[in-house]
Amino acid sequence: MRPLESLRLSWRSIRGHKLRSSLTTLGIVIGIAAVIAFVTLGASLQAGVIGDISPDDQRNIYGWAADPDTEGGPLAGAQPVFSQDDLDTLDDDGDIEAAYGYMPLSTQALVYDGELSPQSDALVAAGPPYIRESSLDEGEQFEQGEREAVINPAVAGQFEEDVTVGDELTIALQGGQQTTVTVVGITESSEGLSPFEGFEPSPRVYVPTDPFYTEDAAGAIPGGDGGPGENSDADADQETGAGDDALFLAIIVEAESADEGDIDGARESAIAYLEGDDSDAGELLGDDLEVTLQTSAELLQQLEDVLELLQNFIVGIAAISLLVGSIGIANIMLVSVTERTREIGIMKAIGAQNREILGLFLAEAIILGVVGAILGTALGLVAGYLGAWYIDLPLVYPYEYVALAIAVGIFVGIGSGLYPAWRAARTDPIDALRYE
Amino acid sequence: MEPPATGAAPGTGTAVTLENVRKTYQLGEPVHALDGVSLEIPRGSYTAIMGPSGSGKSTLMNLVGCLDTPTDGTVVVDGEDVAALDDRERTTLRGTTVGFVFQTFNLMPRLTALENVALPQLFQNVDRSERRDRARELLDRVGLADREDHLPNELSGGQRQRVALARALVNDPAIVLADEPSGNLDTETEADILDLFAEFHDAGTTMVVVTHERHVAERAERIVHLLDGKIERIEALDGAGEGSSSPSSGSSEVSEFSDSSGVSP
Repeated sequence: MRPLESLRLSWRSIRGHKLRSSLTTLGIVIGIAAVIAFVTLGASLQAGVIGDISPDDQRNIYGWAADPDTEGGPLAGAQPVFSQDDLDTLDDDGDIEAAYGYMPLSTQALVYDGELSPQSDALVAAGPPYIRESSLDEGEQFEQGEREAVINPAVAGQFEEDVTVGDELTIALQGGQQTTVTVVGITESSEGLSPFEGFEPSPRVYVPTDPFYTEDAAGAIPGGDGGPGENSDADADQETGAGDDALFLAIIVEAESADEGDIDGARESAIAYLEGDDSDAGELLGDDLEVTLQTSAELLQQLEDVLELLQNFIVGIAAISLLVGSIGIANIMLVSVTERTREIGIMKAIGAQNREILGLFLAEAIILGVVGAILGTALGLVAGYLGAWYIDLPLVYPYEYVALAIAVGIFVGIGSGLYPAWRAARTDPIDALRYE
Repeated sequence: MEPPATGAAPGTGTAVTLENVRKTYQLGEPVHALDGVSLEIPRGSYTAIMGPSGSGKSTLMNLVGCLDTPTDGTVVVDGEDVAALDDRERTTLRGTTVGFVFQTFNLMPRLTALENVALPQLFQNVDRSERRDRARELLDRVGLADREDHLPNELSGGQRQRVALARALVNDPAIVLADEPSGNLDTETEADILDLFAEFHDAGTTMVVVTHERHVAERAERIVHLLDGKIERIEALDGAGEGSSSPSSGSSEVSEFSDSSGVSP
């Protein structure tokens, strides 16, 4: 018998039991839909995160010093050990295009034109190259040593009247100090410019490390662990440890190009110097700390690994319902084989070979599996779409999973149909014809 | 003293040959369902097999229908020694040379009359259009041309049995085997079906009807009476009876015969 003919016959018997067949398929539908929905959400989430790295960022290497055993993302367990002298030395290194410190500073409020807007952690001190030309919507980079700032649209649009280039903005620092900056540039988007900031859009004012960190805020050196947001409880005494002795929590080293060789060269030079005896960092590192230098792609990889782990976990749970679904198919197929014993006997009596009977029942199980997979995929894609829309992520359909889902449907059909079909095939026609 | 199995099937003259056939079931102790049966069914003949229940009718039918193999002896159907075939070859032989008609019709419940008739050809890889043409032709011959799209449960008992007969004939079998074909029919439809049998017999089909009703058996050319797994006697009817080729009227003689001779297929 030709395969198409078995499919036709099997389809007939599936349609003969509409309710039973649909209920059987439901297990597979739910399982596949859950897997597809979660994978879609996972892929969309990853795209949402990765999509935020601008290509200019590719040659930046982000560094911090932490206990090598510390787990977590960027800046986890970071300690301030990098001095301005270290950075100046790195800046002059042949392999390194630029090196500068990065320091999130705690704020209390932003004041523009007499209007006050409460705002914590809005200030980021960094070197001028941190603001890349391509990320500026208007204006220019700030300059080191000047009281200038680049703001992002979230800050610019926060006040009754939009802040524009040339305006003055007053920043109330943690501890009550106030400082006034001139806005020289506005960035294109409100999303973070580096992995240090995180990727969510939030209001930020970018200022040069000198004078804002080295002079004004040097006292606010954060204590122990924690990311950029957790240094607000640091001692607010502004005068101690001020000046050139201020230490940076994080540094950014810019390689000559995004080329892998250049990045590795810059990384090696920086590590060699920072962990050597000549640098201030080398002295402070001691035995406990180690310098980590990673590109944003590498940092993201860690995040992606975590996301992937989470996704695999959820997909694993969803896969359990697939397993339950295939047991359902196996069960129904066994019932069906018993119920149709007589039909099997008739078919064998009139010349059906064992493998043809096997093929018929296997085809039936595979049809149930594949139909379930197709419906489940459609449902999963819709659920993924709704989920991505609700969480506001860019929608990415994992098309390879659609193909995989169909393959799983076939596989589930074969897996759960094989034993019942085998039982059907070896039914003795004499007994089967006598079966009531 | 015994001719070899191949000699026992002399080509075109015989549809089925049974020689010293025994079928033993192990049910705690061995039960001889058939105990040394020898019988020839010539092509184009119409044979009825009668006997009380437990006489071995069903076993004989299963053997002739290639559903089963003998414990001892040879069954030759359409020139093929059934016991020498493997399961697949036996299934093919069954599909192409035997047509079954059952007491309970045994139609596929979800297939239309036409599809039921065409089903045996499906398993012989006949093209769909060819299958349908052949099935239509047969439905027409059994008088159901206007019922081809009906499901079995939309047909009367007599109509179902006609469909079953058409299905049995679709592969142009060497023999049509009917097991109590009128057992579930009223007298009038029974007569119709038996008329159809006679009609196809006249057209050259070899018919074997297993029944326990005398008036059904009397439509045949001869009646083989079975008792306790042996052929009790062969009764020729209408003068059409042949000089029975099976010398098995003395049942005790036959059993002695088969006991003493080791059959060598």
